[in-house]
Amino acid sequence: MTTVEHVQPGHQTAEMTARAGRPARPRRRRRGLLTTIVWYLLLLALAAVVLYPLVWLFFATLKPSSEFGRNSGLLPWEPTLDNYARVWDGIAGIPLWRYGLNSLIVASLAVVGTLGSSALAGYAFARVAFKGSKILFAAMIGTLLLPFHVIIIPQYIIFNQLDLLDTYVPLLIGKFLGTEAFFVFLMVQFIRNIPRELDEAARIDGAGHPRIFWSIVVPLLRPALVTGGIFSFIWTWNDFLGPLIYLTSPENYTLPIALRLYNDTTSTSDYGATVAASLLSLIPVLLFFLIFQRMLIRGVATQGLKG
Amino acid sequence: MASAALLLAGCGGEPAGPSADFDPNAPVTLDLAFWGNDTRAGFYKNAIAKFNEKYPKITVNSTFLPFPEFWEKRQIEAAGRDLPDVMQFDYAYLRQYSQNRLLLDLKPYLGKYIKTDGFTESTLGIGVVNGVTTALPIGTNAWAMFTNTALVTKTGAGAYPGGTSWDEYATWMGAVAKAGGGSVWGGTDPTGRIQNFEISLRADGKNLFDDAGAPQFTKAELAEFWGRGAQVRGTGATIPTKRLLEVAPKSGFGAGLTTSELTWDNFGAGYAGDLGADASGLALTAPPVTKAGAKDLYLKPSMLHAIAANSEHPEASALLVDFLLNSQEAGAVFGTNRGLPASSTHLAGVKLDPLSQKILDYETSIKDRLGAAPPVPVVGYGSIEEKFRQLGEELGLGTVTVEQAVDQFFSEMDTILKK
Repeated sequence: MTTVEHVQPGHQTAEMTARAGRPARPRRRRRGLLTTIVWYLLLLALAAVVLYPLVWLFFATLKPSSEFGRNSGLLPWEPTLDNYARVWDGIAGIPLWRYGLNSLIVASLAVVGTLGSSALAGYAFARVAFKGSKILFAAMIGTLLLPFHVIIIPQYIIFNQLDLLDTYVPLLIGKFLGTEAFFVFLMVQFIRNIPRELDEAARIDGAGHPRIFWSIVVPLLRPALVTGGIFSFIWTWNDFLGPLIYLTSPENYTLPIALRLYNDTTSTSDYGATVAASLLSLIPVLLFFLIFQRMLIRGVATQGLKG
Repeated sequence: MASAALLLAGCGGEPAGPSADFDPNAPVTLDLAFWGNDTRAGFYKNAIAKFNEKYPKITVNSTFLPFPEFWEKRQIEAAGRDLPDVMQFDYAYLRQYSQNRLLLDLKPYLGKYIKTDGFTESTLGIGVVNGVTTALPIGTNAWAMFTNTALVTKTGAGAYPGGTSWDEYATWMGAVAKAGGGSVWGGTDPTGRIQNFEISLRADGKNLFDDAGAPQFTKAELAEFWGRGAQVRGTGATIPTKRLLEVAPKSGFGAGLTTSELTWDNFGAGYAGDLGADASGLALTAPPVTKAGAKDLYLKPSMLHAIAANSEHPEASALLVDFLLNSQEAGAVFGTNRGLPASSTHLAGVKLDPLSQKILDYETSIKDRLGAAPPVPVVGYGSIEEKFRQLGEELGLGTVTVEQAVDQFFSEMDTILKK
């Protein structure tokens, strides 16, 4: 153990400096204060640059549609709450909250499906010895390279023949069946870092795979599950192409599609309602992130430390 | 990808004609797809309710999306041979879908399920591809010039009379810009739009593309056209491209920065919405003339209706198309939301608002300049049009020379046409 007494000559501890350099203290503090102020100003300026679009978006929700294009400044010339009123009225007779609810249902179920299936698949790849596991793992990683556009047509044909179009099944079934290779890979890597001795001890106590998975791996997997859950929620919440292709009835649309409905370049576009609805649609994701961000950072940090 | 998918989907059998034992009172469910906004969705809802008063057993499920997403979804559905029974259709995609036999041959249904009395011979011919009628026009529009009379008056400059030479139009734009003092301009560089190039070609009796889809213009002709824009680009007569990019997605005209714009005559409601003003300050005049007495303008379908070849209920679909195209009831509901109606029986039901009246008057006023419509656009026309617009923008920004722009356009066009 290193103690203060063992400090090499020439290396001063903070305590020693403070004791020895008493007269120098005010100068140091002033310099420290000055540096802090400069840093704060710099950071505030950077924060202003980064947050400006969000602040602009907020004020833009108070601009009448006709002001867009003419007033690119921050403050509206003639502030109005009409945009929010129109958003409240909804589109095609369907209120905006309905689209939000649809998105929430799809995103929540996607989180449940993704986490459940990828944790199970991850456990199988990391802990269960079975024939062809290496080839299957390589194939799964290979699917990460496939662009969505390549598989979309065959998938569409299958769901059409199964008569599942205009339901949420095509959007969710893959997530429940562990087809999200990224999340499976995340779990595999995490489980590989959990000491095998824990499993072996459990096995001696008579536990089988289900028990080891549920009682040992899942509790230790929590950081990875939280990280996966947040990404899965945000990606599904923002997904546009999947709902566009599989959902037909306007009352089933999710929020990203509903937001696009305000703008049709071939007829009239409602820019005011678009920005108001965009701001409102940011709130759930922002809340989700604020609630879980600590766990997200902890999850990512834990992953970094392992291995 | 989408075109390959369409090719794959085009291998279906020959379409059968209408069934002899069709009963309009048998329960049937149809899918109807259209592009548009909330307002148009409301109109369709009302029109379907009126249709159901006549045919209560035909259930119509409607779906709508904005224009780009509408086509993205259709491309996937086409690959799966699962297009909606009845579709609002766009001229630019007509050749592609027709050639791949994705659309129903309407001929056996014309006269029997879809009345044709309201259409003229030429409007009926609009939706014919390779001799097969695969779509019928909902409305027609023509290339025109919108002017914002209220804004012109505000600057103190005189109004544009319409139908002058291009040089006179440029002079007028310069006068407005001078009076506007750097906050209002006379217009946008007209050489940035392919339609202005098209009407210049048509003045010489040519079209952009011939029947076989080959371009009817040379590099030199395009270079000469884009070169002509130099007289207004950067002289301060037209709005700087940078300013236009700042106000996008609104146009300079919609943002109240320019006093004139060449576009399709049914864009007035959109402009009025963008300007936040009533449309009374908008005027429609004829575009500048390239050659006196030339038949350079033509009527184009603003949109069409088509039935999918994969529809299981072609007769009921045809009845719905007939109602949406021809009935006075539907006319009363839609007004001119989908363009000035092509069918006279549909038009009879329309209560013309002042702006629609202006469009009708405009289309009547250009009768002498209207020539035969060009062949149905080539496959990929939308991409060609967009490339032309992008290069026009780059010319405005000064990032390419006219020669470079011409080379880039021809190489892009060759790639698209060879596909």
